[in-house]
Amino acid sequence: MRKLRVLALKEVRLAFRDVGAILTMLATPLALTLAIAAAFGGGGSAPIADIPVLVLNQDAGEMSSTLVEALLSDQLADLLEPEVVTDEAAARARVEADQVAALVVIPPDFSARLLPMGGTELRVESEGAPFQLTAAQMQAWASNPQDGDTEESPAVVEIYASPQWRISAAVVKAVVAEVLERMHLVVRGVGSTVGRLILAGGMDITNQEQLLQVGQSIGEQLVLGAGNGEALLRLEVVSTRRAFSWLDYSAASMAILFLMFSATSGGRTLLIEREGGTLPRLLVSPTPAVTILVGKMAGVALTGILQVMILWGASSLIGAYWGEPLAVVVTIVALVLAATGVGALIAAWAKSPQQAGAIGTAVTLVAAALSGSFFPRMNLPVWVRQVSLLTPNAWGIELFADLQAGDALVNVLPMLGGLLLLTVAYYVVALIGFRRQFE
Amino acid sequence: MSFVKVRGLGKQYAPDGPKAVDDLSFDIREGEIFSLLGPNGAGKTTTISIISTLLPPTAGEAFVGGHSVQREPMAVRRLIGVVPQELALYNDLSARENLRFWGEMRGLGGEQLKREIEEKLALTDLTERAKDRVSTFSGGMKRRLNLAIGLLGNPALVILDEPTVAIDPQSRRYILDWVKGMNAKGTTVLYTTHYMEEAQELSHRIGIMDHGKLIALGTLAELTQLVGEHETLILRLQEEGGEALAAALGDARGVTQASSTDGEVVLNVASAEEVLPIALRRATDLGLTIRTVEIREPNLETVFLHLTGRALRD
Repeated sequence: MRKLRVLALKEVRLAFRDVGAILTMLATPLALTLAIAAAFGGGGSAPIADIPVLVLNQDAGEMSSTLVEALLSDQLADLLEPEVVTDEAAARARVEADQVAALVVIPPDFSARLLPMGGTELRVESEGAPFQLTAAQMQAWASNPQDGDTEESPAVVEIYASPQWRISAAVVKAVVAEVLERMHLVVRGVGSTVGRLILAGGMDITNQEQLLQVGQSIGEQLVLGAGNGEALLRLEVVSTRRAFSWLDYSAASMAILFLMFSATSGGRTLLIEREGGTLPRLLVSPTPAVTILVGKMAGVALTGILQVMILWGASSLIGAYWGEPLAVVVTIVALVLAATGVGALIAAWAKSPQQAGAIGTAVTLVAAALSGSFFPRMNLPVWVRQVSLLTPNAWGIELFADLQAGDALVNVLPMLGGLLLLTVAYYVVALIGFRRQFE
Repeated sequence: MSFVKVRGLGKQYAPDGPKAVDDLSFDIREGEIFSLLGPNGAGKTTTISIISTLLPPTAGEAFVGGHSVQREPMAVRRLIGVVPQELALYNDLSARENLRFWGEMRGLGGEQLKREIEEKLALTDLTERAKDRVSTFSGGMKRRLNLAIGLLGNPALVILDEPTVAIDPQSRRYILDWVKGMNAKGTTVLYTTHYMEEAQELSHRIGIMDHGKLIALGTLAELTQLVGEHETLILRLQEEGGEALAAALGDARGVTQASSTDGEVVLNVASAEEVLPIALRRATDLGLTIRTVEIREPNLETVFLHLTGRALRD
């Protein structure tokens, strides 16, 4: 253990004495974090706005049109970016591709379920058999509209949401629910008003057309708030989850990117020591080869942990949020072990330090591009996000995104487990390569 | 008593490739300085790499202090200190940090390690530069530090692989004196070199290697007796043409061997006094001018030339 510690501390000492390495490890990622955050805006919480949502109206009735109009209204223009669609399959595909936050599907029976008196005829279905209300029954319904409402199931509007747009989808759901609630209240109000007009003799119950016109007029005024200046919705979004921030995102993603540079460079130093003579000298000292190798990689890992911890602290001073401290520490350690595994794997199979350096740089940059180091990962195609899970970068960005959104350590344990499995795979492949090299 | 035993040692880097070391057998007695002398590529470094447990042999075996290099490598490593030809130092660490690190790797620690570090710094005249990074050292200083690291823990056997290559004469003198001083205290030394003068000055016994084989072994006196009373006559020419002159003198009376290298014609002769006039005449016939003439008593250069037909520097 003593020799392991000595070997590891030697690596840390050498890493932090190299001015060029310090620039790469610390100064550059901090500078990039600031630049990206400044370019795209935002420390702290950004307001939710322009949520892309698709609206599919399968109903031909008036109530569904009213719902669509509500979603397209000026009052919601800043919050939603709705698009009316007709192709259900294509719309669902766009949601699955995370191009939009959600698809609102208004079913074909929406108006009928919401307004049983819709159409040219007052019809209420009860027990499967249609019948017409008698005047007495209408009188009774007008007094208490709920008695005449024999509809057994409510109007069902489907919100088909993208899991990557969790917050935005929740907002869409809340908006639709609010609109439906308003509409339901309006329907009740219209029914009650019309009924009372009938009772008061102001309307002829047999004049269906008149009843509909009056009802619609009342409904429109109530729904759209025309004439009284009332807004349809006063929406106050309260989210228990922290909103996306460019500063948070880039602080973590840049730290991960430059951790990968450090880890692959650290693995390369094993080959440099082999060519430079210090590794052969170590191998003829009374120190087992496995101790030398483990000590070397432990030093690279320790350097990586210090590097990311420093970046965490420094970026926090300028407002970046990484998550709950304990969860962040555990995630950093797991991520560093994985990155070091990549460095070990490259060193184990490369033929020279130059080759290891070239491969390390290429792997780091490709992993960064695939994982979303430079732009939000959620904007990448699904297949790219899946492939990128072969890299520590992707896992790290996902983990920190969850922690930054408010997840606790227990919530990210499954993902940490996945990262650990990947790390084990890296080291197994590296070990096979080292045995080939040194046996 | 033999401290190092080598029996039928062989090393082939590729199955169908040439043998870097071929059927090598020798002993090194406890407390002696043993040199392996030979040109570049003779197999000296491969031999000591096997003895120091860095490389496994493909044939034969070797023992250090009674321990097999193949079956008991850790026991062997505890007995040896290695001074490699390359400067195996961490340039971004100071001299003291290097000594501390390598001392820890040897298993030293605490007060013993501190004493060792200060002793080696003093012996190498590096005490005043102990805190400075190795990257700021001259070549000679780095060589001294490289040597000091190999001596940490005062190992029973010190293996030095061409330690004086590409260094200034002063540093070379320093190293040679230190090797002798270390040996005077009882340390066994295995020293490889292609410099005949070093092997002659330092060694109790010398093994001459060429193409992976041990072609001669013994004390300096025993080796020079191989060439009898022969002298070495060295002719340095004003112009090119050494090969032609060597060829012309190859069958001259009194000449046992003739070779040419770097503008010199080296002749192994029974009597330099008798051969010199012949050499001058033949040079004139070829239109060549002899600039200097040197006559050497039998030495390892002569021995190597006698045994291989080539100069040691070829």
